[in-house]
Amino acid sequence: MSNNKLTKGALTAVAAGVMAGTANAAENKAVDKLIAKIKDKSDKVRAEAWLGAGEVGAPAVRPLAAVMRDKELEVARAAKRGLWKIVRYVGRRGKGDEKRAVIAELVVLLGDDQPAPVRREVLWMLSEIARTKSIEPIAALLSNEELREDARMVLQRIPGRRSLAALRAGLKAAPKDFKINIAQSLRQRGVRVRGLPCVKLVPTKKTNVKPVK
Amino acid sequence: MKRTKQLNRREFLAGAAAGAAAMSFPYLVPSGVLAARGRTGVNERLTMAHIGVGGMGGYHLRDMVKRRDRGEVNIAAVCDIDEKRLAGVVKTAGAGVQPYRDYRYILERKDIDAVVIATPDHWHGVQMVHAAECGKHVYVEKPACCTIEEGKAMVAAAKENKVSVQVGSQGRSQPEAYLAHRYLVNGNIGHISRVDCFHYPSPEDNNPVPDSEPPAELDWDMWLGPLRWRPYNKRYCHGVFRWLLESGGGQIRDRGAHVMSCAMWWMGADGTGPVTIKATGTAPKKGLWDSAVLMDVTYTFKDPDWVLTWRQMPHEKLPPAEKRTGKEPGGRISRPGYGAIYRGDKGEFIHWGGDGGTWAEKKAREWQLPAGGKDVYKSPGHKEDWLKGIKTGARTIMNIEAAVGVANLCILGNLSYMLDRELKWNQDKQEIVGDDQARRMMSRPQRHPYHL
Repeated sequence: MSNNKLTKGALTAVAAGVMAGTANAAENKAVDKLIAKIKDKSDKVRAEAWLGAGEVGAPAVRPLAAVMRDKELEVARAAKRGLWKIVRYVGRRGKGDEKRAVIAELVVLLGDDQPAPVRREVLWMLSEIARTKSIEPIAALLSNEELREDARMVLQRIPGRRSLAALRAGLKAAPKDFKINIAQSLRQRGVRVRGLPCVKLVPTKKTNVKPVK
Repeated sequence: MKRTKQLNRREFLAGAAAGAAAMSFPYLVPSGVLAARGRTGVNERLTMAHIGVGGMGGYHLRDMVKRRDRGEVNIAAVCDIDEKRLAGVVKTAGAGVQPYRDYRYILERKDIDAVVIATPDHWHGVQMVHAAECGKHVYVEKPACCTIEEGKAMVAAAKENKVSVQVGSQGRSQPEAYLAHRYLVNGNIGHISRVDCFHYPSPEDNNPVPDSEPPAELDWDMWLGPLRWRPYNKRYCHGVFRWLLESGGGQIRDRGAHVMSCAMWWMGADGTGPVTIKATGTAPKKGLWDSAVLMDVTYTFKDPDWVLTWRQMPHEKLPPAEKRTGKEPGGRISRPGYGAIYRGDKGEFIHWGGDGGTWAEKKAREWQLPAGGKDVYKSPGHKEDWLKGIKTGARTIMNIEAAVGVANLCILGNLSYMLDRELKWNQDKQEIVGDDQARRMMSRPQRHPYHL
């Protein structure tokens, strides 16, 4: 390698670093601006913010999820709607890279450190865009009593062999009271399930109201 | 998605439970007992049950009580998940009518021929399918369904179980709907290439409240039914469920299921569907409700080519209502805020309403059918048309195939709005094309055990 090439390579690396830094700075600025508007006192400003959140994309996912826990009802609601906007924006054709980045961020939010309402919402976001790599963390929630029903439904919705295999494995591992739920998902996916009859037509809830005599 | 039938088990359960239940209170003899399955026999007094008795459900019950009092039907049961409301309607229904919280007790009863379902939209598909699988004829409120896959299941269930289904888009059965239909199919405005539906905006939730414990009288689990679980919030119910995309779908799934129902009927477009759907809209700025306030949806149809639009617009932009004296058979136009303009190559035609009130422009009301002119089906009344369907097997005016077609328009409009992009639709395959996310949204997995 000549000195010239070395110098050129070094310059390219520096330029790339500067560009990446600039891009990160721009992203951070966009996220900060979004979050500030989501927390604004004005309904109008908040609505403009969440409606425009889609293009901000993956970098805004975790900050918005954090605001979903805000004590101000309408602020938390705006953050949730902003997250949904991102999910619907990256679901478009031709947004593969952005979608992958958003999925990766959403999967992080399935962790135990997040409150159940956030994880539940994230599960349903993943139901619309998740790919095979996200199946495992979703399937892991089949053993979480609070979230397992949502995880089951989400796996039912995600097409492909991996989600089906996760449901089959979930059926084997599930406690007795939850097997019947997973069996239903498998039936919806076209699998014949024996020994766990469907109970959809079995009434269970009695009224206290008496007929007129 | 495939469904697995559990016929033998179900029949066993139904039989066993009905037997047990019969010991606790007297049952009526079902009208079909001496007839072929699904059709009335010598006793033509059908036995009805009502599932969901608030709002429109209350109207249906009061209407059915009048029919019972005229000796036309029996009423065996009423069902609601709100105990206070149930206690009230039991009195309306009178002696001998059994109240239930869980509609599945009604489906077990072999003495009941037919059910009237007037629950929030998210229950329509599941309850109609369950009722059909138990051999009951069904009148179900509009819109027929909330998802594309629910609609497919409803059509299949009605067909497989040979039950008569009427969906509550009763605009088709109104006297002036007949006059409008007849006027249009006889070419009075020429070839129609565009129908523009108009409606005032959906409301915004200007009084948002935090989640809370449900009131003691409400079974929140059963209100949610197939929907994914979430804490109770007063702004979900009652009445206002309409303004949430999941449970009500906004004006487009409410009045759209009326106004676009008339359009599909009069355009001879039942059984067809659009090839593209493009929606835009404005979202509510706050609150729980999330359906579009203003909305603009364009549906493009091919072979034959025509365009259908649905627009929720500010009140001041609505077309002015026709002046009437009030002495016309249909009276004054009491709901001028919605309807449709039909645009032909020889003129235009407008109607207002499209539901229980449907008002046609004067020129259609005054038009006389000439010799050799084309007449159209004149409904004897929406319920009468259903009862005729039950007794004769005749296709109802708002049969489940037609109703699902109209509901699909509403669903696709909302999906396009939610996704903020144009959708492509394959009518033959009944599916969205080329959009993986939208395709997943054609179904919504349902909570156990409240599923198709």
